[in-house]
Amino acid sequence: MIGFILRRLAQLLPVLLIASTGIWAMIYAVPGDPVAVIVGENATPEQMQAVRARLGLDQPVLVQYLSWLGNALQGDLGLSIQNREPVRDLIAQRIPATIQLGIAATLVGLLIGVPVAVFSALKPNSWVDRSLSGWSALALGVPTFWLGILLILLFAVYLRWLPAASAYVSFFESPWQATVNLLLPALTLGIYVSGIFARFLRASLLGELKADYVRTARSKGLPERDVVGRHVMRNALLPFVTIVGLMMANFIGGTVVTESVFTYPGLGRLLIQAISTRDYPLIQGCILFILLVFVLINLLVDVLYAYIDPRIDYG
Amino acid sequence: MNASHSLGILRRVLGQPGALISVLYLATLVIASLLVGWALPLDPLAQDYANMLKGPSAAHWFGTDELGRDVLARVIYGARTSLLTAAGAVAIAAVIGVPIGLMAGFFGGWRDAVLMRIVDVLLSLPGILFAMAMIAVLGRSQTAALIAVGITGVPTFARIVRAQVLSLRKRDFVTAVEALGGSSTYNMFRTVLPNSWSPILVQVVILSSVAILIEASLAFLGLGIPPPTPSWGEMLRTGKSYLHDSPTYAVFPGLVLTFTILSLDTLGRTLARVLEDRHEAAEPEGTP
Repeated sequence: MIGFILRRLAQLLPVLLIASTGIWAMIYAVPGDPVAVIVGENATPEQMQAVRARLGLDQPVLVQYLSWLGNALQGDLGLSIQNREPVRDLIAQRIPATIQLGIAATLVGLLIGVPVAVFSALKPNSWVDRSLSGWSALALGVPTFWLGILLILLFAVYLRWLPAASAYVSFFESPWQATVNLLLPALTLGIYVSGIFARFLRASLLGELKADYVRTARSKGLPERDVVGRHVMRNALLPFVTIVGLMMANFIGGTVVTESVFTYPGLGRLLIQAISTRDYPLIQGCILFILLVFVLINLLVDVLYAYIDPRIDYG
Repeated sequence: MNASHSLGILRRVLGQPGALISVLYLATLVIASLLVGWALPLDPLAQDYANMLKGPSAAHWFGTDELGRDVLARVIYGARTSLLTAAGAVAIAAVIGVPIGLMAGFFGGWRDAVLMRIVDVLLSLPGILFAMAMIAVLGRSQTAALIAVGITGVPTFARIVRAQVLSLRKRDFVTAVEALGGSSTYNMFRTVLPNSWSPILVQVVILSSVAILIEASLAFLGLGIPPPTPSWGEMLRTGKSYLHDSPTYAVFPGLVLTFTILSLDTLGRTLARVLEDRHEAAEPEGTP
């Protein structure tokens, strides 16, 4: 098991190295002089020189790269150009909000997706199955930002039940306020992933239903509810765990659009702000962080999968 | 493949009601975006301060925006932006991704390892984030949006083509060309590639729907093609700030966008199914 984890880590290293080099080199790919872009048109040469020195752009390229990488490895991502705060702190402030939204959305996705998958798999190709498959297609096809707008129109503009803009309230401080604020963004994102969950679990269930043990269970007279609930579900859930994990990895950065619809103060909005103010250290920090978490969760999912499925040989 | 072959496939795709509706919808969209400006009397830029943020009416079917401009006209011009960006982006993705997949699958070994690691790097971030990073570097422009959306499609083509090449690599007709002294380039592009067209075609259709979604998302985030070029994402972005004044403003562009994405997706899936059926029907003859 340890060997398996180490081998997967070793495979990741080149990817991480290339990706981080790319992120570092970003600033050199900016057309023209990045410093001029950052300080604006009316800057004095002194101001430009100051920014250049602060970004370390006055040093040899190799020195810049190595010191950037060295600092990044120690968790130092530099200072934001916009408000001179450490990038690490700015990111850290936004993490709880994004995690809370990610978890809420996953719950919504499971609450909708699992029943949809089970009911369609029980009667494949029936009208129930066809209309539920239609649901999945719709959930995946409707852009999340438009769905978010429609939900705001219904629940915030017409019914006035929920706020149109969602603030971050920790669930542990005020469960009610947190729910009120999270409901619409979580629904928006949750409906989307419910489509992925439903499609995947349905395929997984249908695959299992063809297995020999299902015929055995049925022929010994087990009611269909027990066949599916006790036998099939357990086996089908195994690969499903992978998909749920991958979706959660996606949510680390993938809530960008939803956060923007609901002006929710998560990591994604920080990145958008950084891009629109051309705050390069902050952009680099955000992307590096999201990439790292994304890759690590992927690894974790692999390991977890190998761990819970005794048939997988990772020797 | 020959002409009668493609006609047969086309007939079977259009035989599916979902695909037929999708094709009709997309055709309407394309024709409208070609006619607007000269045969369709709609102006996306004419401002009318007496009629701002109005709902649908006989004069303005989709209502008017915050400057009194006709939303329908802007939606149709937005179709131009969306469809052209999608076409360009898919072309970029194919031009880069297909050769990567061909070479990785054909040569194998270290070339495969290096090329697929590069593809892994592209996949190490969700597509929309990769596109955002590209915009952060290139700035906001038409070209930047095109490249950003295009690059996100590269891994899909590379992987699909590589898988296809791996399944063809040891087939007799490929080894025959090799034995006859055909160059690797000739073999890859003239022998393997023509036999891989069907999964590539399916990906072209499906990726156009993904490209339209990413382009619209970028525009919605304020990172897409800069105004005044009308785009669906940008209209939704503005419409969102006038939800109380004109609820329909953000509804119509989104409706058209959603139908477009769903149509392309349905078409791609139907095409995949038809091609697969054909393949399965033909396969037993060749395999013992």
